[in-house]
Amino acid sequence: MSEQFQRGVWGRLRLHVLPTKRFKTFALSLFAGVPLSEDRVTPVALTPFVLRRGTRSYPETISFRERLDDLYGAGFGFDLYKRGDHQIVQFRLDIINDRFVSVTESLLGEALTFLGEVLTAPALDGDQFRSKYVEAEKTTISKRIDAIINDKIRYAAERCVEEMCKDEPYRLPALGRKDQLATISADTLYEAYRKWLEEASFDLYVSGDTSLEEVQALVEKSFNLPGGRPSTYTKPNLRGARSEVQTIVEKLDVGQGKLNMGLRAGATYGSEQYAALLVYNGLLGGFPHSKLFINVREKASLAYYASSRLDGHKGILTLQSGVEIANYERAVKIIREQIEAMKAGDFAMEDLQRTQAMIIGQLREIQDSAFERISFDFSNVLSGVERTGESFIAEIQAVTPERITAVAQGVELDTIYFLRNRKEEG
Amino acid sequence: MSAKPYPKLQETLWHEKLDNGLEVFILPKPGFTKTYATFTTRFGSIDNHFTPPGGETIRVPDGIAHFLEHKMFEEPDGDIFSKFASQGASANAYTSFDRTVYLFTATDEIEANLDTLLHFVQNPYFTDENVEKEKGIIVQEIDMYRDNPDWRVYFGLIEAMYQTHPVHIDIAGTAESVRSITKEMLYDCYNTFYHPSNMTFFVVGGVDPQETMERIKRNQANKTFPPSGEIKRLFENEPEKVKDEKRELQLPVSLPKCLFGFKEDPDEHKDDVRKELASKIMLEALLGSSSALYQQLYDDNLISDGFGQEYNTGPGYAFSIIGGETRDPDELVTQVSEALYEAAKNGISSDIFERTRRKKIGAFLRMMNSPESIASEFTRYRHKGGDLFTLVEVYESLTLEEINERVKEHANPDRRAISIVRSGTA
Repeated sequence: MSEQFQRGVWGRLRLHVLPTKRFKTFALSLFAGVPLSEDRVTPVALTPFVLRRGTRSYPETISFRERLDDLYGAGFGFDLYKRGDHQIVQFRLDIINDRFVSVTESLLGEALTFLGEVLTAPALDGDQFRSKYVEAEKTTISKRIDAIINDKIRYAAERCVEEMCKDEPYRLPALGRKDQLATISADTLYEAYRKWLEEASFDLYVSGDTSLEEVQALVEKSFNLPGGRPSTYTKPNLRGARSEVQTIVEKLDVGQGKLNMGLRAGATYGSEQYAALLVYNGLLGGFPHSKLFINVREKASLAYYASSRLDGHKGILTLQSGVEIANYERAVKIIREQIEAMKAGDFAMEDLQRTQAMIIGQLREIQDSAFERISFDFSNVLSGVERTGESFIAEIQAVTPERITAVAQGVELDTIYFLRNRKEEG
Repeated sequence: MSAKPYPKLQETLWHEKLDNGLEVFILPKPGFTKTYATFTTRFGSIDNHFTPPGGETIRVPDGIAHFLEHKMFEEPDGDIFSKFASQGASANAYTSFDRTVYLFTATDEIEANLDTLLHFVQNPYFTDENVEKEKGIIVQEIDMYRDNPDWRVYFGLIEAMYQTHPVHIDIAGTAESVRSITKEMLYDCYNTFYHPSNMTFFVVGGVDPQETMERIKRNQANKTFPPSGEIKRLFENEPEKVKDEKRELQLPVSLPKCLFGFKEDPDEHKDDVRKELASKIMLEALLGSSSALYQQLYDDNLISDGFGQEYNTGPGYAFSIIGGETRDPDELVTQVSEALYEAAKNGISSDIFERTRRKKIGAFLRMMNSPESIASEFTRYRHKGGDLFTLVEVYESLTLEEINERVKEHANPDRRAISIVRSGTA
């Protein structure tokens, strides 16, 4: 039942293999992380977009995608996000286990060969990227950056964090900065990519009916990384809130107002108080029984959604709600009262138990998804801690009201962000 | 109780129809930590004009199925979310065109949670006061969607296609229709559509099928229901022609959003499942991310990664939806339509057909890792008279001739509608 990751190292790559027969697929994840920086954020963001256009063996995008279709519609994709003060690129590949179909090739072998080429043997023109791909993907990324504003909920969330962290690398968006795209060309990007291969922290995860030995042998054949040892992640810089809460109001053509708040949490995933902080977040706004949902939605009927989210790797807490513009002040008042109530230890034991039960349920559920198990384990790699599902559940169970109240003293409101309509009244 | 093995998928489905008419299905997933259960009624946004068993024909306000879904969570002794939370379960619900689904996911106290799910859905508690309070929340939900360009362009297309069929009515209704809802109307709908004989219960996860079935049967044996009768759903005749060939709407967006599709005569086929899968292969083969057309449109900067296609069928409706964001909606619609008309004339090649079929089978098998998807898709196909667990066989039995026939039927220039959202010129 309790399957364990097997660990190995191959050159710059840390290998993590989870042998399991529970799923109908092999799940592969490759994480590449570098510190967030003004100079690198855009080329690093652009890199996976270009890498997904073609490899040495499948240089044309159509042949690249046909190859994935031929591998029984392997699911391939990548994500870009921030974890702590790092910019992470995650490639994912999900491919069915051979035993469900009649094939002669080993689908895991083919998948690793494919992923290895994506990362280390891209389609090139001479000794640089194909400029056709670089130019097209610059357009794609630029459109994605522009499109953030289409989704007002996401836009408001990102703007709030950007305002709160304006003096830190964390202000930078994981997708990079549009104004830097123009300066990037096929040769400068290729140079940045080579440097990225030499410096990033690489972790390769494989889950499925396999073993470390099998994976390691396949990786040695298909990943052509520069030599060296794996790089490790540095701890995030934990900051306190600004001395006076800042309020940012922005106007757009919207019907509903988006109210977001950014708070400094005083602890991170790597901290001892993390379990108490996670329970704190659950009591404040993580669930439908939480203070925000009950007081903003159920009691005051002000909103459809009102919740909080803990970014444990950065040590910040964000609150979000969609409210009628005229109700802005009322909503802010109610939300601030909830934060104060948490500081005063004003929460019911019943709600504490509910919150613990919910978080423990979520932690147990992780076991049922290969990609979630991988993400959970990768959080340990990022934070330099060694939590298992079981140990974390024990930590959650041990959280007392006193420890929550103690952690609540360190949670400080920093930024209030309100996205509203253009009209003056209301 | 009967057990039906699906050797190819290595799954066994348990089934029993209870005395009160409720259909219960259990899919054990040995080794899984979590259990996911859904309780589904065939009552969705399209069911706005009907005759209850032995009653008079009534017409109800738009959005009432969704309103009812919200109100089911309220019980005389408080909010049902808290009850689930005390048992470590996360509960939710959603309303679609033709069904309402109540669900929970839990890793512990499964039997108590099953009872809670059965109990709250079979125990309506509507008062003038709690119905009134919900209106503010739902109006905020409607306002949230009104600001969402993806939702607006999607619904705009369905509104353009359908003249009388209620599929064109927004699932949440309008602020006005929601304000007209009373507790008496909710009870009318409840008494009509929430009879066990109109419902399906599905459990998937690490459960023992016999014990689980016994628990559900015991629960139901303790309750009495009026005899079941036939519900008559009344749909006016939907004309062949689309309502509007083109609809435009202004909202702030980074690039215009354009969706278009073809409306079909829903009665021309008997085997709905086969037709649906054939349609999905058709769209994927011609417009999927590995098609020649997709790559050409991407190279011409006419589409972005978000370009996609889907096929929807349900009682009295069937249509495709194609598109995404684009710099030039007219050009995109012209190019894609031309390609579809061309394919209707010349057919799809057999290697593209085979590759697409493989891709679809692989995607289906990957989906089988997700209890949430299994529960939702199983119920959806069951309502159509199909069986989710035999889809691989259906995919395998489809022929190129059938797909080509599908293209000819579907790509009918007289039945195309277009929906566009773009920024105003202000």
